[in-house]
Order: sequence, then C-alpha cells, then structure tokens
Amino acid sequence: MKEFDDFNFSVDKYTKELTRECVGGSDLQQRKKEIEAYNEQTSAMLKQTCKKNYMQFIQTAKEISHLESEMYQLSHILIEQRNILATMTDGKTTSNLKADSIEAESSAATEDVENSQATRAVKEMVQGFNGNLEGKTFLNEGALIELDANDYRPIQRVFFFLFNDVLIVCKVKHDKRLEFLTEYDPKRIAVINIKDLDGVKNAINIITPDGSKIYQSITAAGKSEWIEKLEEAFRFDQQKKPKKGQAPQPPNRSKQQQQQAQSKSATPEKLPEQSPTDAQPKSLEDETPEWLSTASEEIQTLVAQRHFEDAQSLIKRTQEFLSMAQPKPKLLQADVIQAKIKQQEQKLTNVLLQELSNSHNRNLQIALREVRRPLKILVEMGRSRQASATLLKVCTVSLRVAQREARRNNAEISELFFCDLTQVACDFLCAFEQQPACVSALVVWCNAELQYFASQLIKHYLTKGTSLEAVAKCVERVRKPATKLTEIGLDISYHLEGLLRTTLESLIEESKQRLLDAVGRTEESWQPYNLQTKSNLKRLLLELDALGIDVRAQTTGDTWLSLTQSTVVFVRQFLQLTEHCGCLAKGETLLQSLEHLLRDLFLAHHALRPPSDMSVDPNFVMKNKIFLVDNLLPIAIEKFRKTSGRQCETMRELHTKLSRQQGAPVPRQRSVYTTDVF
Amino acid sequence: MSKKPTAGPALHKVIMVGSGGVGKSALTLQFMYDEFVEDYEPTKADSYRKKVVLDGEEVQIDILDTAGQEDYAAIRDNYFRSGEGFLCVFSITDDESFQATQEFREQILRVKNDESIPFLLVGNKCDLNDKRKVPLNECQVRAQQWSVPYVETSAKTRENVDKVFFDLMREIRSRKTEDSKATSGRAKDRCKKRRLKCTLL
Repeated sequence: MKEFDDFNFSVDKYTKELTRECVGGSDLQQRKKEIEAYNEQTSAMLKQTCKKNYMQFIQTAKEISHLESEMYQLSHILIEQRNILATMTDGKTTSNLKADSIEAESSAATEDVENSQATRAVKEMVQGFNGNLEGKTFLNEGALIELDANDYRPIQRVFFFLFNDVLIVCKVKHDKRLEFLTEYDPKRIAVINIKDLDGVKNAINIITPDGSKIYQSITAAGKSEWIEKLEEAFRFDQQKKPKKGQAPQPPNRSKQQQQQAQSKSATPEKLPEQSPTDAQPKSLEDETPEWLSTASEEIQTLVAQRHFEDAQSLIKRTQEFLSMAQPKPKLLQADVIQAKIKQQEQKLTNVLLQELSNSHNRNLQIALREVRRPLKILVEMGRSRQASATLLKVCTVSLRVAQREARRNNAEISELFFCDLTQVACDFLCAFEQQPACVSALVVWCNAELQYFASQLIKHYLTKGTSLEAVAKCVERVRKPATKLTEIGLDISYHLEGLLRTTLESLIEESKQRLLDAVGRTEESWQPYNLQTKSNLKRLLLELDALGIDVRAQTTGDTWLSLTQSTVVFVRQFLQLTEHCGCLAKGETLLQSLEHLLRDLFLAHHALRPPSDMSVDPNFVMKNKIFLVDNLLPIAIEKFRKTSGRQCETMRELHTKLSRQQGAPVPRQRSVYTTDVF
Repeated sequence: MSKKPTAGPALHKVIMVGSGGVGKSALTLQFMYDEFVEDYEPTKADSYRKKVVLDGEEVQIDILDTAGQEDYAAIRDNYFRSGEGFLCVFSITDDESFQATQEFREQILRVKNDESIPFLLVGNKCDLNDKRKVPLNECQVRAQQWSVPYVETSAKTRENVDKVFFDLMREIRSRKTEDSKATSGRAKDRCKKRRLKCTLL
C-alpha cells in the first residue's frame, strides 16, 4: 500500500497495474477489500492525529487562560494589599495627606498622580531626606519590622519607599513620624526569601552594601509583594516592565466561551441534519439510516473536537436506536455498527478519564472546577466508579501539595486540611449522590488522607520534646474542625484520635517524667514568700486570679505571702497544666494517662519535705500542704471538669485521701526552733 | 559576614549554586524536610535554617538556595559573598549544566578570592543513570582539577543528600578552626599576614 503515499500517485495507472497483476475476479475482490481496509484505517488515523493536534492546542490554550486568570487573581490580591497599606499609612499621616490620598484613590489614581503623591508623601513625612525624586517611578511602600540578625528580636519599625532606582529606608519614630535612615540602589541589593528560620514568619533578608539585614512583614502577602517589587525595581531598566496600577484585565475566557458557543451551535445544527430517530420508522425496514452508519465516525470527530457531551449523547442515541431495532434483523450491519459504537464508547471513557487525571493542579479549587465537566459525562455514561477513583487520586495530589506548601509557609495546616477535605467531600457527594459504592470509596479515601495527615502532624508538629501546651494547642486545632465534619455526615474524629493516640500518650508520659524530674530538683527554703513591693504582690494576685485561684487570704503585711515561693510557683504551673490536660482530655482515650500525670505531679510536690538538717517551722510546712490539698486541688478538679467536660475520678479520690490524712498529727520535727517570721 | 559573637550553636552558611532545573531546591527540601518535590518552580533566592548534630556537636546550617536561571547572574555576586561553603550542583542528565559549573566556580573564586573555599561538586539526578549524559570520569577529572570532592546524589531517592551537606559543613568547620588559629577571620587577610611574616623573617 506504499504507493498511495507516493507524491506522483495516479489513480489510472494504479488501477491498470492492478488489473494486469490480478488473476480472476476473486483476486480482484480480495484486493478491493484490502484497499478498503486501508482506507478505513487511514481515515481513523487521520482523525486521531487531528484530535491529538487539537488536544495539544486546547491544552495550550487552557494553560494560557489559567495563567491569565492567575495573573488576574494576583493583580487583584496586590491591589487589595496596596489598598490596605494605603489605609494604614493614611491612619498614620496627617489629615492633609489623608484627604489627598482619598482623593487620589477615588479618582482612579493614574500613575503620574501616584508618583507625585508618593514623592510628596516622602517629602512631607520623612525627616532628613533631601534627595531628588522627580521623574522616578513609584513602586511600593509599607511598614516593616527590622529584626536582629542574630537572635531575630525586633530592633525597630521601619518604613520603606521603593522607587525604580532608589529604596528609601525610614525609621518609624514613637510619634509616628518618619526619620530618614538610609537609601539603597535596588540594583545593588540582593533579596532572599527566608523560608525557614526558627519560626520567624514572613521575613526577608536584604543584602545591602552595608551588611545583611532581616526585615519582617506583617502578612505573608506583604512579604511576597515586597520580594516581587524589589525584583521589579532590580530589573527596571532591563525590561520596561508594565507598571503597576494598570487596570486589571479580566481573564481571557473568550476561548472557552467560543468553544462552548461552538459546541452549542453545533448541537442544533447537527441534530436536524441527522434525521430524527422516531420520525422514520419506515426506513428501518429497508436500510440503515445514514446518520447511523456514520455515527461511529461522527463520534470520533466530536471527541477530537472535544465536544464530549455531544459525543456522549450521540452514543446514547445510537444505542437506543439499535436496541429498538433489535427485533428487526433487517437492519444491515447492525452488529458491526454496534461493535464500533461500543469501541467508541470505550475510547470516550478513556479520553475522559485521561482528562480527569490530567486536571490535577496545585490549587484544589481549580482542580475541582476543572474536573466537573468530564465527571458529569462519565457519571451519565455509568462509569462513576472509575471516575470516582480517578477524581480521588487527583484530590490526593492537590491536597498534599497544598499541605506541604502551607507547612513551609508556616501557615495553619490543620484548618487547611479539613477545609479541603470538606470541599472534596461536598463536591464528591454532589457528583455521586446516587452511587453508594462510590460513597464508600470516599470514606476509604478520607481515612487514607487522614492517615497521611496524621503522620505529617506527628512528624512535624508532635515531635519528641514538644511541650504539653503546644501539644494541647495542636490537638485542639485538629479536633475542632474534625467534629465539624460530622455536619456533612463524615465522622472521622474517632479514627483521628486513634491515629494520634500512641504518639500523644508517649508525649504525655515524656512530659510527666520531665515535670517529675523538675519537682525533684526544686530547692525549697520553707520560708514565706516576700514579693518586695506592693505592686509585685498585686500583680501576682491578679495573675493567680486569672488562673482561677484567690490567695488573698494568705497575704500578710504589705508584701508577704504566707506560702513558700515554690508553692506559689507550683500553684501557677499546676493550674496551667490542668488547663492543657483538660484540653487534651476532651478525647476519652487519653483521660487516664492525663489524670495520672496530674495526680503524680501533685503527689510529688505534696511529698516534698524539708531536709532533716534544715530548721523550719513544721506548722508552716503543714500549712503549705493543707493549702495545696484544700484550695488548689478542688479548683484544679473543677477546672479540669470544665475544660474537658469529663469527671476526673482519680483526682477526686486523691482529694478525699489526702484530706483524710491531714487529720493526722503534725509530724514531729527534730528542731524545736520556731520563730514567727511575720 | 563577621562571626557571631552570640553563644549558641555555630552557624555554617551554605550556598546552593548551579544551572536552572538541576535540582538545587529539591536537594535542599529533601535535606530540610525529607520530602521530594516533583513540581518545578524556579527559585529566586530562598533561605532555610536548621539545627543539626554534626559529629556530636549541635550546629546550625543556613542554606541559601539561589536562582539558577541566567537572568539572575548579575546579582549572584551579592549572594555569594555571604557564603562559607558552596554546593555546585549539575544534573548528570544535562551536559550543559555540567559545563556551566565552570562558570559558577570562576564566579565564586572571583567573589571569595580564595582558592580553597569549602566547595563540593555535586552530580544530581543519579537515579536517572540510564539517561546519563555526563560520563562519570569527566566529572571526576574536573573535580580533581579543582581539587574538590565529587559526589553523585539523588534528591528523589535521598541518596547522598545528607552526605553532601554534612561533608561541606565539616569542611567549613575545619576551615573556621584553622582561621581562628590564624587569628584572622578572613582567608585574604591570612594570606597577607603570612606574606608579612615572611618579610619579617
């Protein structure tokens, strides 16, 4: 069949040669069949290639439109940020300037206005700056905090004005006025995005000719804006970049719209062309309707043009027609057509699944939006199970990417995870409501994602040595949204508790050891606590009030507290700890180990005795102990019950046991030396 | 640049250099978070810090992940100045990236003005050995020329990832102790001092 591809191919010549070669009619028939088969194959191939090209084109167009919409979003965010910053500066500057900027804002600030406004702002607000700003392009302004390069503590508040060729750094003074500090050429400074620095958030590092400096922005968006703007300034001369403030172009959806319009216009055109189904029952008798014989090819074309809905409806129509025609075997080639249609259906399914799995995207929302169209068709085609499996795979990718990103930016990962989970679940239930099998797939998927999430949580947030306070906070943040998920019918709290249980228990055990060790190391003088000044005492009393315990009855004189210092410290620590433990004890599984922690800690402290060679007042020692049992313990029990919503039996028992013991006589101390210290 | 007077763990500043797309960020993220990131997004300049235990001593590593793309070449000087050690990365599946290491090396030497700055030549993507474009011996020859170690890594399989960072930190550390013995923090100054001594003698 090579001859066909030849450039000089001539039909006459070929036919002549063919007739000459062939012997007899049957041979010729054979040849004819071969040529026909080749014909079919070529036409199918042509369509496939066409489809491939088309797909490529669409893919690119889609990519472009995504990028455009992202650009649009970005510019929107930037404008928002700018507005926020503008209002912030407005608050700080004189009313004169405020009027100016509002005016400028409302009159849809053109660039020139912006430039001159910024120039004026610099002149009016910045003390000690007398450089010339005429003819410069204003790029950005905003407040930042300068951090110490060694210990990352804030040094001072600064305000930046960025023009195309100068970065002006001002100090924000206490009276909110700005004092000129220094200026840099943006082309001579290097900007580093600090992604991970001992928990310092939203910081950038600027390497200037006079050393490296760390600046912190209030928001993550502010930080990325500065990085971008500083880069813009850096490249200002290389490429006359489009300046900011340009009216944002709406994302170019025209392509999609065109496409949709095409598909819409295509539908009504085609349907009448292809002769209505029911209108011609007669034709069934004599021959296959024309549209039916071309249906297979038509579907191929539709798929190639990505009119999946039309393709699917055509398949459906053909199948209905054929099943209606079943009792009438007169229909020529019915089987052949049926087989072909089936093949096409399979192909369409594959194409759609492909489409579905390609739509994974960094952004879950975008991915879910993109997935909707193929999903709908697949469900209509009865391929929900395959579709759901693919969809969940896509979601897994987006979800994990988002979490990773969030963790790296020090953002809140629990909230994000549960939001995303909810979103997926909602969309999923919408799409597959009628399919119980799919819903169970969702449940399985949720569990798998939950496992991954828990493992991430354990790996990055619940590491060994984490304080109980941090653990309680972390767990609280996970539990809250987890219980919320029951609103959409997903109960994962129990599973989650189970996943975290071992880790949490070992963390609790570890903290217990740590706390008990600390009690063992307490150095106690067994003397009343002197706060030195009245205000110190007052502050301490207020602090303890906030924790829910009133020790006013124990005050003596102006600055004395008739408890030992370590008792006071312990009271504070124990109540804080009770709060955290109560928080953790909201999950039933941990209750016991938490109770034991509190009990053991209390007992350890309660058992502290003055060393035998120290001369102390046994009654004072006793007083401290009685205070612990009679005052602290009931309050702690109540606090625990309130935060956790559970009874704390172990602590109650402890209370009854210890109060009974107190009836016993004061232990005889060796020393007889007693003084009234107060 | 000056040494930190503060107490606390020593800080070693490492800079990742190399052409775009060779896997500098992938190596960094694998080292920092034990993760392999497949999606590619060109870096501008990101810094990371982590506490690690180096031969039983707690130290901090500061990793500056720089942009490989050509259009950032102009500001590289600024970044390089702060580095105490360099991981010069190329992809064994991309000959061009290997050729580019020569340029990076020269730029670093020019900026640091120090032939023996801690430096490792790193051939990344060694899990893709079947697509190798840069022969192993060529890499080794180049490393020998520069008298620096050569290591092949894979950010994907984590092969040798820890090794390159730790090896470099060891070199930086030994360099620092050497320098502090010579009382001067800077290699340049040290050379001058040596010369001075000679004239005295």
